[in-house]
Amino acid sequence: MPRVEDEQSCIKTAQMLKAAGYRAVALTLPTGLLKDRVRSLRNHFANSGIELFVRIDISCANRQELLRLLRRFRNVYDVVAVRCVNHTLGLVAARDRRVDIIFFDPLKRNVWFDHSIANVSRAALELNVSSLYSESILITKLMKEIDIARQHKVRIVLSSGCTSPLMIRTPEQLSAIGMVLGLNVRQASDGVSAIPWSIIEQNVERRSKEYVEDGVRVAKRVN
Amino acid sequence: MRRYLLIRIYSDNLTALSGEQFNDALLSSVRKYFGEIGVSTIAPKLLRFDPHRFEAIVGCQKSREKELQAAVALIREIAGSSVAALTVRISGTIKSLVTS
Repeated sequence: MPRVEDEQSCIKTAQMLKAAGYRAVALTLPTGLLKDRVRSLRNHFANSGIELFVRIDISCANRQELLRLLRRFRNVYDVVAVRCVNHTLGLVAARDRRVDIIFFDPLKRNVWFDHSIANVSRAALELNVSSLYSESILITKLMKEIDIARQHKVRIVLSSGCTSPLMIRTPEQLSAIGMVLGLNVRQASDGVSAIPWSIIEQNVERRSKEYVEDGVRVAKRVN
Repeated sequence: MRRYLLIRIYSDNLTALSGEQFNDALLSSVRKYFGEIGVSTIAPKLLRFDPHRFEAIVGCQKSREKELQAAVALIREIAGSSVAALTVRISGTIKSLVTS
Protein backbone atom coordinates (compact mmCIF):
# COMPACT_ATOMS: atom_id res chain seq x y z
CA MET A 1 0.00 0.00 0.00
CA PRO A 2 1.59 3.31 -0.97
CA ARG A 3 1.24 6.37 1.26
CA VAL A 4 -1.99 7.64 -0.28
CA GLU A 5 -1.34 11.24 0.75
CA ASP A 6 1.97 11.17 -1.13
CA GLU A 7 1.38 11.54 -4.84
CA GLN A 8 4.93 10.54 -5.81
CA SER A 9 4.68 7.32 -3.81
CA CYS A 10 1.43 6.43 -5.59
CA ILE A 11 2.94 7.14 -9.01
CA LYS A 12 6.01 5.06 -8.18
CA THR A 13 3.86 2.18 -6.98
CA ALA A 14 1.83 2.28 -10.17
CA GLN A 15 4.97 2.32 -12.32
CA MET A 16 6.49 -0.57 -10.38
CA LEU A 17 3.28 -2.59 -10.75
CA LYS A 18 3.36 -1.96 -14.49
CA ALA A 19 7.01 -3.05 -14.65
CA ALA A 20 6.09 -6.22 -12.77
CA GLY A 21 3.44 -7.00 -15.38
CA TYR A 22 0.18 -6.33 -13.55
CA ARG A 23 -3.00 -5.05 -15.20
CA ALA A 24 -5.13 -4.62 -12.08
CA VAL A 25 -4.51 -4.24 -8.38
CA ALA A 26 -6.58 -4.13 -5.20
CA LEU A 27 -5.21 -1.51 -2.86
CA THR A 28 -5.99 -1.38 0.85
CA LEU A 29 -7.17 2.13 1.59
CA PRO A 30 -7.97 3.81 4.90
CA THR A 31 -11.69 4.08 5.63
CA GLY A 32 -11.87 7.87 5.92
CA LEU A 33 -10.42 8.61 2.47
CA LEU A 34 -12.37 11.18 0.45
CA LYS A 35 -13.96 10.13 -2.83
CA ASP A 36 -11.94 12.74 -4.71
CA ARG A 37 -8.71 11.26 -3.42
CA VAL A 38 -9.79 7.78 -4.51
CA ARG A 39 -10.66 9.17 -7.95
CA SER A 40 -7.27 10.84 -8.19
CA LEU A 41 -5.57 7.57 -7.16
CA ARG A 42 -7.53 5.72 -9.85
CA ASN A 43 -6.32 8.28 -12.40
CA HIS A 44 -2.67 7.89 -11.35
CA PHE A 45 -2.91 4.14 -11.70
CA ALA A 46 -4.89 4.34 -14.95
CA ASN A 47 -2.14 6.56 -16.42
CA SER A 48 0.29 3.69 -15.86
CA GLY A 49 -2.17 1.19 -17.35
CA ILE A 50 -3.23 -0.31 -14.03
CA GLU A 51 -6.88 -0.73 -13.10
CA LEU A 52 -7.34 0.12 -9.43
CA PHE A 53 -9.80 -1.56 -7.11
CA VAL A 54 -10.24 -0.55 -3.50
CA ARG A 55 -9.97 -3.00 -0.67
CA ILE A 56 -10.55 -2.85 3.06
CA ASP A 57 -8.78 -4.97 5.66
CA ILE A 58 -11.11 -5.34 8.62
CA SER A 59 -9.41 -6.03 11.89
CA CYS A 60 -11.56 -6.29 15.00
CA ALA A 61 -11.82 -8.36 18.13
CA ASN A 62 -15.39 -9.66 18.27
CA ARG A 63 -18.34 -10.84 16.20
CA GLN A 64 -20.62 -7.83 16.78
CA GLU A 65 -17.94 -5.40 15.71
CA LEU A 66 -17.20 -7.44 12.58
CA LEU A 67 -20.86 -7.61 11.55
CA ARG A 68 -21.25 -3.87 12.13
CA LEU A 69 -18.20 -3.07 9.99
CA LEU A 70 -19.37 -5.43 7.24
CA ARG A 71 -22.79 -3.73 7.15
CA ARG A 72 -21.09 -0.37 6.91
CA PHE A 73 -18.36 -1.06 4.37
CA ARG A 74 -19.48 -3.96 2.17
CA ASN A 75 -21.04 -1.72 -0.44
CA VAL A 76 -18.25 0.83 -0.40
CA TYR A 77 -15.25 -1.36 -1.20
CA ASP A 78 -14.56 -3.72 -4.10
CA VAL A 79 -12.83 -6.30 -1.92
CA VAL A 80 -13.48 -6.99 1.76
CA ALA A 81 -10.77 -8.85 3.64
CA VAL A 82 -10.84 -9.81 7.31
CA ARG A 83 -7.79 -10.29 9.52
CA CYS A 84 -8.66 -13.20 11.78
CA VAL A 85 -7.21 -12.27 15.15
CA ASN A 86 -8.89 -15.14 16.99
CA HIS A 87 -10.54 -18.44 16.17
CA THR A 88 -14.14 -17.30 16.80
CA LEU A 89 -13.72 -14.33 14.51
CA GLY A 90 -12.14 -16.59 11.91
CA LEU A 91 -15.21 -18.84 11.96
CA VAL A 92 -17.65 -15.91 11.65
CA ALA A 93 -15.65 -14.27 8.85
CA ALA A 94 -15.17 -17.49 6.92
CA ARG A 95 -18.91 -18.25 7.03
CA ASP A 96 -20.16 -14.78 6.13
CA ARG A 97 -20.90 -14.35 2.41
CA ARG A 98 -20.01 -10.65 2.52
CA VAL A 99 -16.40 -11.52 3.27
CA ASP A 100 -14.25 -12.14 0.18
CA ILE A 101 -10.92 -12.93 1.76
CA ILE A 102 -9.71 -14.05 5.17
CA PHE A 103 -6.12 -13.93 6.30
CA PHE A 104 -4.18 -14.76 9.42
CA ASP A 105 -1.31 -13.02 11.07
CA PRO A 106 1.54 -15.52 10.61
CA LEU A 107 3.41 -14.18 13.61
CA LYS A 108 0.51 -15.09 15.92
CA ARG A 109 1.01 -18.67 16.96
CA ASN A 110 -2.32 -19.13 18.77
CA VAL A 111 -4.53 -18.63 15.73
CA TRP A 112 -4.27 -20.35 12.37
CA PHE A 113 -6.36 -21.63 9.49
CA ASP A 114 -7.57 -24.96 10.83
CA HIS A 115 -9.99 -27.65 9.65
CA SER A 116 -12.99 -26.16 11.48
CA ILE A 117 -12.59 -22.82 9.69
CA ALA A 118 -11.76 -24.45 6.35
CA ASN A 119 -14.87 -26.62 6.62
CA VAL A 120 -17.25 -23.64 6.69
CA SER A 121 -15.23 -21.21 4.61
CA ARG A 122 -16.92 -19.38 1.75
CA ALA A 123 -14.14 -16.82 1.63
CA ALA A 124 -10.79 -17.32 -0.05
CA LEU A 125 -7.68 -17.73 2.09
CA GLU A 126 -5.00 -15.12 1.45
CA LEU A 127 -1.33 -15.87 1.87
CA ASN A 128 0.92 -12.86 2.18
CA VAL A 129 4.34 -13.46 0.71
CA SER A 130 5.71 -10.50 2.66
CA SER A 131 5.39 -12.53 5.87
CA LEU A 132 8.19 -14.77 4.61
CA TYR A 133 10.66 -11.89 4.66
CA SER A 134 10.66 -11.68 8.42
CA GLU A 135 11.00 -15.28 9.52
CA SER A 136 11.68 -18.26 7.28
CA ILE A 137 10.38 -20.51 10.06
CA LEU A 138 6.86 -19.40 9.09
CA ILE A 139 7.15 -21.53 5.96
CA THR A 140 5.92 -24.60 7.91
CA LYS A 141 2.83 -22.72 9.09
CA LEU A 142 2.01 -21.49 5.58
CA MET A 143 2.52 -24.98 4.13
CA LYS A 144 0.17 -26.44 6.72
CA GLU A 145 -2.50 -23.82 5.93
CA ILE A 146 -2.15 -24.53 2.21
CA ASP A 147 -2.51 -28.25 2.86
CA ILE A 148 -5.71 -27.73 4.88
CA ALA A 149 -7.14 -25.34 2.27
CA ARG A 150 -6.46 -27.88 -0.47
CA GLN A 151 -8.14 -30.66 1.50
CA HIS A 152 -11.31 -28.57 1.90
CA LYS A 153 -11.12 -27.05 -1.60
CA VAL A 154 -10.85 -23.52 -0.22
CA ARG A 155 -9.69 -21.00 -2.80
CA ILE A 156 -6.23 -19.58 -2.17
CA VAL A 157 -5.18 -16.06 -3.10
CA LEU A 158 -1.48 -15.25 -3.25
CA SER A 159 -0.69 -11.67 -2.41
CA SER A 160 2.53 -9.71 -2.15
CA GLY A 161 1.20 -7.94 0.98
CA CYS A 162 3.50 -5.09 0.08
CA THR A 163 3.74 -1.88 2.07
CA SER A 164 6.25 -0.18 -0.22
CA PRO A 165 6.93 -0.23 -3.99
CA LEU A 166 10.11 -2.26 -3.47
CA MET A 167 8.11 -5.13 -1.98
CA ILE A 168 6.22 -5.68 -5.23
CA ARG A 169 6.98 -8.96 -6.98
CA THR A 170 5.88 -10.27 -10.38
CA PRO A 171 2.83 -12.56 -10.57
CA GLU A 172 5.13 -15.36 -11.76
CA GLN A 173 7.32 -14.92 -8.69
CA LEU A 174 4.27 -15.07 -6.40
CA SER A 175 3.05 -18.23 -8.10
CA ALA A 176 6.56 -19.74 -7.86
CA ILE A 177 6.50 -19.11 -4.11
CA GLY A 178 3.03 -20.72 -3.97
CA MET A 179 4.36 -23.78 -5.75
CA VAL A 180 7.30 -24.04 -3.40
CA LEU A 181 4.81 -23.92 -0.51
CA GLY A 182 2.78 -26.83 -1.90
CA LEU A 183 0.37 -25.58 -4.56
CA ASN A 184 0.27 -27.20 -7.98
CA VAL A 185 0.87 -25.17 -11.16
CA ARG A 186 -2.83 -24.52 -11.76
CA GLN A 187 -3.62 -23.49 -8.19
CA ALA A 188 -0.58 -21.24 -8.03
CA SER A 189 -1.39 -19.40 -11.25
CA ASP A 190 -5.10 -19.15 -10.35
CA GLY A 191 -4.08 -17.72 -6.97
CA VAL A 192 -2.57 -14.64 -8.59
CA SER A 193 -4.94 -14.20 -11.51
CA ALA A 194 -8.21 -16.11 -11.90
CA ILE A 195 -9.37 -16.19 -8.26
CA PRO A 196 -8.69 -12.52 -7.39
CA TRP A 197 -10.23 -11.48 -10.69
CA SER A 198 -13.35 -13.59 -10.13
CA ILE A 199 -13.79 -12.01 -6.67
CA ILE A 200 -13.55 -8.53 -8.16
CA GLU A 201 -15.88 -9.34 -11.06
CA GLN A 202 -18.47 -10.76 -8.69
CA ASN A 203 -18.32 -7.69 -6.44
CA VAL A 204 -18.46 -5.22 -9.31
CA GLU A 205 -21.60 -6.99 -10.50
CA ARG A 206 -23.06 -6.98 -6.99
CA ARG A 207 -22.53 -3.23 -6.75
CA SER A 208 -24.17 -2.55 -10.09
CA LYS A 209 -27.70 -1.09 -10.21
CA GLU A 210 -29.06 -4.11 -12.09
CA TYR A 211 -28.10 -6.56 -9.37
CA VAL A 212 -30.90 -7.79 -7.11
CA GLU A 213 -29.46 -10.98 -5.60
CA ASP A 214 -27.48 -14.02 -6.74
CA GLY A 215 -28.98 -15.14 -10.05
CA VAL A 216 -31.48 -12.27 -10.23
CA ARG A 217 -30.86 -9.14 -12.30
CA VAL A 218 -33.02 -6.30 -13.49
CA ALA A 219 -33.57 -6.94 -17.21
CA LYS A 220 -35.60 -3.82 -18.00
CA ARG A 221 -36.88 -0.86 -16.06
CA VAL A 222 -40.36 0.43 -16.88
CA ASN A 223 -41.03 4.09 -16.10
CA MET B 1 20.06 -29.17 -19.17
CA ARG B 2 19.77 -25.72 -17.64
CA ARG B 3 17.31 -22.85 -17.50
CA TYR B 4 18.21 -19.18 -17.48
CA LEU B 5 16.51 -16.29 -15.71
CA LEU B 6 16.77 -12.63 -16.64
CA ILE B 7 16.53 -10.64 -13.41
CA ARG B 8 16.17 -6.86 -13.07
CA ILE B 9 16.99 -5.16 -9.80
CA TYR B 10 15.17 -2.05 -8.64
CA SER B 11 16.33 0.13 -5.77
CA ASP B 12 15.79 3.63 -4.42
CA ASN B 13 19.21 4.44 -3.07
CA LEU B 14 21.55 1.87 -4.58
CA THR B 15 23.81 3.75 -6.98
CA ALA B 16 26.32 1.00 -7.71
CA LEU B 17 25.94 -2.74 -7.58
CA SER B 18 28.47 -5.39 -8.47
CA GLY B 19 27.92 -8.92 -9.67
CA GLU B 20 29.56 -10.28 -6.52
CA GLN B 21 27.16 -8.41 -4.28
CA PHE B 22 24.17 -9.73 -6.21
CA ASN B 23 25.60 -13.25 -6.25
CA ASP B 24 26.11 -13.17 -2.47
CA ALA B 25 22.52 -12.02 -1.93
CA LEU B 26 21.20 -14.68 -4.30
CA LEU B 27 23.15 -17.52 -2.71
CA SER B 28 22.24 -16.48 0.81
CA SER B 29 18.55 -16.34 -0.17
CA VAL B 30 18.70 -19.82 -1.72
CA ARG B 31 20.56 -21.08 1.36
CA LYS B 32 18.11 -19.42 3.77
CA TYR B 33 14.96 -20.83 2.20
CA PHE B 34 16.17 -24.14 0.67
CA GLY B 35 19.27 -25.01 2.67
CA GLU B 36 22.60 -26.40 1.55
CA ILE B 37 20.94 -29.27 -0.32
CA GLY B 38 18.84 -26.67 -2.14
CA VAL B 39 21.97 -24.80 -3.19
CA SER B 40 23.42 -27.96 -4.74
CA THR B 41 20.20 -29.17 -6.40
CA ILE B 42 19.13 -25.78 -7.74
CA ALA B 43 22.76 -24.97 -8.60
CA PRO B 44 22.28 -21.23 -9.16
CA LYS B 45 25.06 -19.58 -11.12
CA LEU B 46 25.44 -15.93 -12.02
CA LEU B 47 26.44 -15.86 -15.67
CA ARG B 48 26.21 -12.21 -16.62
CA PHE B 49 25.68 -8.99 -14.75
CA ASP B 50 25.12 -5.55 -16.22
CA PRO B 51 26.04 -2.94 -13.55
CA HIS B 52 24.54 -0.10 -15.60
CA ARG B 53 21.13 -1.61 -16.22
CA PHE B 54 21.10 -3.63 -12.98
CA GLU B 55 20.30 -6.78 -14.91
CA ALA B 56 21.55 -10.29 -14.27
CA ILE B 57 21.33 -13.61 -16.05
CA VAL B 58 21.31 -16.55 -13.66
CA GLY B 59 21.37 -20.21 -14.64
CA CYS B 60 19.91 -23.12 -12.69
CA GLN B 61 19.10 -26.78 -13.07
CA LYS B 62 16.13 -27.45 -15.34
CA SER B 63 12.94 -28.16 -13.35
CA ARG B 64 14.37 -26.11 -10.46
CA GLU B 65 13.58 -22.71 -11.92
CA LYS B 66 10.52 -22.25 -9.68
CA GLU B 67 12.68 -22.60 -6.57
CA LEU B 68 15.19 -20.13 -7.97
CA GLN B 69 12.40 -17.72 -8.91
CA ALA B 70 11.04 -17.95 -5.35
CA ALA B 71 14.49 -17.34 -3.87
CA VAL B 72 15.01 -14.32 -6.14
CA ALA B 73 11.60 -12.96 -5.10
CA LEU B 74 12.58 -13.26 -1.45
CA ILE B 75 15.71 -11.12 -1.80
CA ARG B 76 14.96 -7.87 0.04
CA GLU B 77 18.32 -6.33 0.67
CA ILE B 78 21.60 -6.03 -1.15
CA ALA B 79 24.53 -4.23 0.46
CA GLY B 80 22.26 -2.75 3.11
CA SER B 81 19.81 -1.22 0.64
CA SER B 82 16.23 -2.29 0.03
CA VAL B 83 15.79 -3.82 -3.41
CA ALA B 84 13.19 -5.54 -5.54
CA ALA B 85 14.59 -8.30 -7.74
CA LEU B 86 12.05 -9.05 -10.45
CA THR B 87 12.25 -11.97 -12.84
CA VAL B 88 11.73 -10.54 -16.29
CA ARG B 89 11.97 -13.72 -18.35
CA ILE B 90 12.88 -17.38 -18.20
CA SER B 91 14.40 -19.20 -21.14
CA GLY B 92 16.28 -22.32 -22.16
CA THR B 93 19.02 -20.31 -23.89
CA ILE B 94 21.04 -17.26 -22.90
CA LYS B 95 20.84 -15.96 -26.47
CA SER B 96 17.07 -15.53 -26.37
CA LEU B 97 17.32 -13.61 -23.07
CA VAL B 98 19.97 -11.28 -24.46
CA THR B 99 18.15 -10.59 -27.72
CA SER B 100 14.75 -10.05 -26.05
